[in-house]
Amino acid sequence: MMLWYKAWRESRARFLLSAAALTVICASFVFFHRDASSGISDEPLSYAVYIWRITYKGYLRELFVILAILLGLGGLTRERDHRTVGFTLALPVSRWQLLATRTLVGLAEVGVLATLPAIVLPTLSPLIGQSYPSSQAWGFTILWTMVGSLIFGMGLLASVLFTGEFTAPVAAILGLMGYSLVADISPMDSYLTDIHDVMSGIDMPYFTERTGLLSWHLPWHTLVAVLLAAASLIAISARITNRQDF
Amino acid sequence: MPEAYVIATHQLTKRFGQFAAVEALDLNVRAHQITGFLGRNGAGKSTTIKMLLGMTRPTSGTGTLLGRNIEDPKENCEARSSIAYVGEDKQLYAYFTVSEIIRFTRSFYADWRPEVAERLLVDYELPPKRKVRALSKGMRTKLALLLALSRKPELLILDEPSEGLDPVAVEGLLQTLVRAASEGTTIFFSSHQIAEVERIADRVCILDHGTLVEDFSLDELQQDYRRVTLGFATNAAVEAFRMAGIRHIRRAERQLSVLVRGNADAVAEHGRSMNAVSVDVAPISLREIFLESVQSES
Repeated sequence: MMLWYKAWRESRARFLLSAAALTVICASFVFFHRDASSGISDEPLSYAVYIWRITYKGYLRELFVILAILLGLGGLTRERDHRTVGFTLALPVSRWQLLATRTLVGLAEVGVLATLPAIVLPTLSPLIGQSYPSSQAWGFTILWTMVGSLIFGMGLLASVLFTGEFTAPVAAILGLMGYSLVADISPMDSYLTDIHDVMSGIDMPYFTERTGLLSWHLPWHTLVAVLLAAASLIAISARITNRQDF
Repeated sequence: MPEAYVIATHQLTKRFGQFAAVEALDLNVRAHQITGFLGRNGAGKSTTIKMLLGMTRPTSGTGTLLGRNIEDPKENCEARSSIAYVGEDKQLYAYFTVSEIIRFTRSFYADWRPEVAERLLVDYELPPKRKVRALSKGMRTKLALLLALSRKPELLILDEPSEGLDPVAVEGLLQTLVRAASEGTTIFFSSHQIAEVERIADRVCILDHGTLVEDFSLDELQQDYRRVTLGFATNAAVEAFRMAGIRHIRRAERQLSVLVRGNADAVAEHGRSMNAVSVDVAPISLREIFLESVQSES
């Protein structure tokens, strides 16, 4: 039980700051709807399209990606820098248990962050005389949670491979950018799906850009593949951790 | 019946590239004793302890800890449940308060003794509500010791335990270690404070350049170890003293200083037969053995 508490305490500040940032930004997107809407398009946008463009396709998505990476950081490599790794590794728990606990807490936090827009947007929109369907928000929450798991896995792997406060996040962000670039280049775009597009539905059959609305035929095969990729990254991280010297 | 060793290594080696931090170490630590692990900084003491606790993988060789294979993660984990460890860094999670880290540590061990933890909290004057990050180095050391000493483990491993402590706290620590040993806990502690080792250890292992250079009990030190000083009329010939029991020979022009284990009379007699003009046989201190061992190896 205390391992869970340790994992929570280590990520608590990052998670709470992330949650606060996402909540405030979502709320400001709602309350500054008119000004922001004219800022992103010359033509009048429906509220659903506005929310999609500024939240699920726009800045908030990029912020979520960075936060998911940050939540994946930490662990034994960072503890080595802080010189607490000896205390941790002398506990009668396996490295696998340590990593599993941290991973599950991190994934739960990613899930909560992905859920926040689904709570904030439908709740606050009526206050400005608009409405945003909860079903749409929850659809994006599913997409963000699944893809967020993969991004979290990239952060986790980077934290296992690289020491230093900044090296691991920079490496993870560069890796993600590299993947997106490769996935958008022909002919690789026929084989790889840009996970950013999966999150926002761009050019995806389950999303209509004109209405800004998801259909309920979510890409379950793609999402399963994303989860498998996330599981692979976590498994690689565990394998490396088990073999590392501290 | 073979003697029970709580720690046993055979040809244990750890290399970092070309550098051998520990080289073919054969170390045997007996149960129910206090064993001091002496060595200079960088001698390989901490690396040895890290290999024993599964923090670092040996390059080659084998080892057991409480009878369990140190290289098997599952067995090592089982062994660690009966071991208390205080590392050389004594760093603890900065985000916990003193009472939180006590609660955290307590949850992993069945042998936790709350009354001892409470007593040490008072003795060490540790503020329960203060964050670890706000503790001084000495207080952090005391907290790390509290977390280890509040248990009744089979084996207590301490890496430079007195570093950062004031003399009063060092005295308290040594008394606590003696008390723990009297209650049946085996203690294995690394140090370069010879006086501390000499005060409480039953046995001493000296490590230098990753190799075990001496292993003896303090009783053996008093009974068996001698310094034989031989004066000659002409320059002394070291080569003439290849005898059993000779650990080290130091030459200063016409004088030979010979560190002998168990064969001092024969060495003195041999010196006389070699026309030594003066022969002196004297007991030797742990400090002298340590300095002799590590200086002659370097």
